[in-house]
Amino acid sequence: QDTWTMTTTWPSSLELIEGDKHFVDLANKLTQGELSIEFFEGGALVPAGEVFGAVESGSIQAGADWPGYWAGRDPAFSPLATTASLFNAVDYVNWILEWGGADIYNEIYGKFGMVYLPYMVTNNESGFRTNEPIRNLDDLQGKRLRLSGLEQGKLLERLGGNQVSMAGGEIYQSLERGVIDGAEFSTPNVDWSGGFQQVTKYWATPGWHQSASIFGVMINKQSWDALSPETQEKLQIAADATLMWSLAFTEKRASEAYKQFDEAVEINRYDDETLAKVQEMANEVIVETACESPSSAKVYLSMLEYLEDYKGWREASAPFNLGRSPNGPDIEAVRACVDG
Amino acid sequence: MNPELIAVVMFGLLLLGLFMGHPLAFVLGGTAVLTTFIAGKPMVLGIVINRIFGDVLDNFTLIAIPLFVLMARFLSDSGVTDRMFESLRLLMSNIRGGLALAVVFISILLAATTGIIGASITVMGVMALRPMLQYGYAQTLTTGVIAASGCLGILIPPSIMLILMASYSPLSVGELFAGSMVPGVLLGLSYAVYVYLVSVFRPDLAPAVEPDEKISRGALMRMLAFEAVPPLVLILGILGSLLAGIATATEASAIGAFLALLIVIMRGKFHWSTFYSAMLETARTSAMILFIVVGATAFTGVFNITGGLRATQEIIRSLDMAPWLLITMMMVIVFILGAFLDWTGIVLLSFPIFLPIVQEMEISMLWFVVLMAVVLQTSFLTPPFGYALFYLRAIAPKEVRTGQIIRGVLPFIALIVLMCLLVAAIPSLVTWLPARLYTQG
Amino acid sequence: MGITRVLDLINETVGRIVAVIAVVFAAIIIYDVIMRYVFNDPTRWAFDVTKQMFGFYFVMLGGYALKHRSHVSVDLVTETLTPGVLRIVEAAGYIIFFFPFAWVFFTRSWEFATRSLAQAETTYGAVQLPVYPLKISMCVAAGLLLIQGVSEFIKILFGYREPAQ
Ligand code: NA
Ligand code: NA
Repeated sequence: QDTWTMTTTWPSSLELIEGDKHFVDLANKLTQGELSIEFFEGGALVPAGEVFGAVESGSIQAGADWPGYWAGRDPAFSPLATTASLFNAVDYVNWILEWGGADIYNEIYGKFGMVYLPYMVTNNESGFRTNEPIRNLDDLQGKRLRLSGLEQGKLLERLGGNQVSMAGGEIYQSLERGVIDGAEFSTPNVDWSGGFQQVTKYWATPGWHQSASIFGVMINKQSWDALSPETQEKLQIAADATLMWSLAFTEKRASEAYKQFDEAVEINRYDDETLAKVQEMANEVIVETACESPSSAKVYLSMLEYLEDYKGWREASAPFNLGRSPNGPDIEAVRACVDG
Repeated sequence: MNPELIAVVMFGLLLLGLFMGHPLAFVLGGTAVLTTFIAGKPMVLGIVINRIFGDVLDNFTLIAIPLFVLMARFLSDSGVTDRMFESLRLLMSNIRGGLALAVVFISILLAATTGIIGASITVMGVMALRPMLQYGYAQTLTTGVIAASGCLGILIPPSIMLILMASYSPLSVGELFAGSMVPGVLLGLSYAVYVYLVSVFRPDLAPAVEPDEKISRGALMRMLAFEAVPPLVLILGILGSLLAGIATATEASAIGAFLALLIVIMRGKFHWSTFYSAMLETARTSAMILFIVVGATAFTGVFNITGGLRATQEIIRSLDMAPWLLITMMMVIVFILGAFLDWTGIVLLSFPIFLPIVQEMEISMLWFVVLMAVVLQTSFLTPPFGYALFYLRAIAPKEVRTGQIIRGVLPFIALIVLMCLLVAAIPSLVTWLPARLYTQG
Repeated sequence: MGITRVLDLINETVGRIVAVIAVVFAAIIIYDVIMRYVFNDPTRWAFDVTKQMFGFYFVMLGGYALKHRSHVSVDLVTETLTPGVLRIVEAAGYIIFFFPFAWVFFTRSWEFATRSLAQAETTYGAVQLPVYPLKISMCVAAGLLLIQGVSEFIKILFGYREPAQ
């Protein structure tokens, strides 16, 4: 029987760790007698930013993550983690399971000697929490906002705000002390547990910076190859089952937290005109980023091809369809950058 | 090899290295490396490097350490703090133990500006140790009051420990900050009361100002205005910029170093040679503190991955007793662990077990965590492994024996235990302020 | 001894240069605070740059601090030992603890740094700063620490080391 050591980028207080625990429990049940995964919460073995390196070097066999943290190693990790105003949760699930997404994850992580099993999806993130209301682009001008991500930062700067990079643990105090004007962090339930309702008065929805997010586990390739095909399949089954569960679980938790927030802060929705403008800027940023990195372009192209392919049936089945077909970036412009 | 045995081997090596007189940083690091081989898991060594880089090199909050040390060096090397303490001593000439009291009160103020253990002890040590010894204060009282008061920085917000505790519990940073404010300040005041009582009943430990040293009221006022007010304004200025939201704790430390330099220049005490030697001293002290962090993070990581974390958790989980006894037991465990482990390790291994139990008991989580934060104050002071002891050892002159430092902190450990009992008996000491600040949520 | 003098000189030189960096990152932080509150025009780079300078600063000073015997130790037992026994205990401390750690620190951070360099790793926000220079300096710093340990060890063996101040 093999024993794996696995850790995550999340500390125990962040609800995101529930997805990791769900996967580990299920995997351990299914692979009894073949594989035992010993799971350590974030920080116990390595700091969040080092989980990638620890799995890559084989110090530990598996590490749970949000792929966007590794965009400094390859910009393609950014669209593998989230998109600015493009995919929703169902789009990610469709794309990963049936439109070739899973292979792309393994191609990008494979460059670093790892196999990747996506197993958690969250839909739209909360958006900015501030002490002055944000309803449109004018309100965004000159604001110093905590925001993570490469495309996200570029988009915010194009819209007139300033991106501030800051570790999760520092956000609360910085909001309280007014060091930043606002912050996005995660989904409503995770934000609530972070106590942001105590230090901000306003919340602007939707979270256009991160329309949906994917989480999963990185597995060292040598450790993966050492498993029997049956064990590998069982891990895949555990990941797929967790993915389906996470969609319902995280949306339920987000709804509960939304109600709590609604009583604690003022919630404003951007008007349609603003959102159309954001979409236009997001499209530009996506094309620009894709054209700076061929591997990033490859990921975006695959995503855009999915959207195009799915568009006909999705629109025909309206209003009973799953999500929207976005007025997204120019697919030909991205295609031209794939080999560039 | 079973995990319990590996954990015992690790503590054994730690103690062996400490008593061999080898530098603490490398005892911790060396123990981590040897343990991976003893446990037959050399492949996990990579996490040592991951931890050193991610926890220490790539860490914005730790920048405050060299900057606060630099501030203290500017002020002390140019004689500014010596004069400040001299004038404070004369001001309090009618109060027994005036200088020690000044140390406590300045520490409480400093505590509100910094939240990293090495920073405040080093600052107080560099500034106050020499004047106190010079004026005849006993070595035990001097080192004890500096070490204990210097640790207040990590209980009185802002504090890196409370931030970590928040990220490993369902509590927010704000609630924890507000909750530990009252117990932190009370603990500081209890130090002041203790110091006063000692100097009344044991004048040989804290000599009074001789009558012929006393100066006229006018001369004293002038002296205070020139010598004591600027450095105190500096400390209040840092605190103010923090509270007014102009700067984060790290930024406040940079502002502090800059203002200190300004004071030195305005006093006409600026010389390039002292400026440069302050930088060199800061370099050595900062490297000393931060390499201990390097060693400690290596030690904790290996302790966790080789099974020490799980083994300790199993022991705690097996406890089965009445709630109040269980909480007492938990605090005793934290106290004992504090003698051997650093606080990050303790929080990491105890929170996942303690907090679910506390949640089931339906008692205030905030109260429990703050109580534990107060108990953890002892971990900095209890030998053999206490950061305050090490930092003070590094700053104190050779003639102050390590045994004296340890004897000096013992009464303060007792005061912390008393404060724990008080917080345990009166939970509103913790819950009152957060309830007023955060009505919802 | 020639060799210890050379090794000491290397770390002394590095220490005397690197020590100045504390003032530089203090200045950058203050500049950023002023730009933010007085001119409402914060820098985009100050946060990452100061963080990296800090990491470089303290890690490069490890060997320098060792040369000056600034790394704190507990003298409860050792102050009762005779000079001869003390020398043996000190040398043993280096063999048991220092060298295993410093060797692992050096070799493993070499792998760590070369991997980052091969990937041309950067930070992941809108401002993309390279990360590998800091990782390479960690490896260099580990090397400096290691050679200073060799120097101290030789001095202990041959009784050339003066007592710590
Ligand atoms: Na503090
Ligand atoms: Na201790």
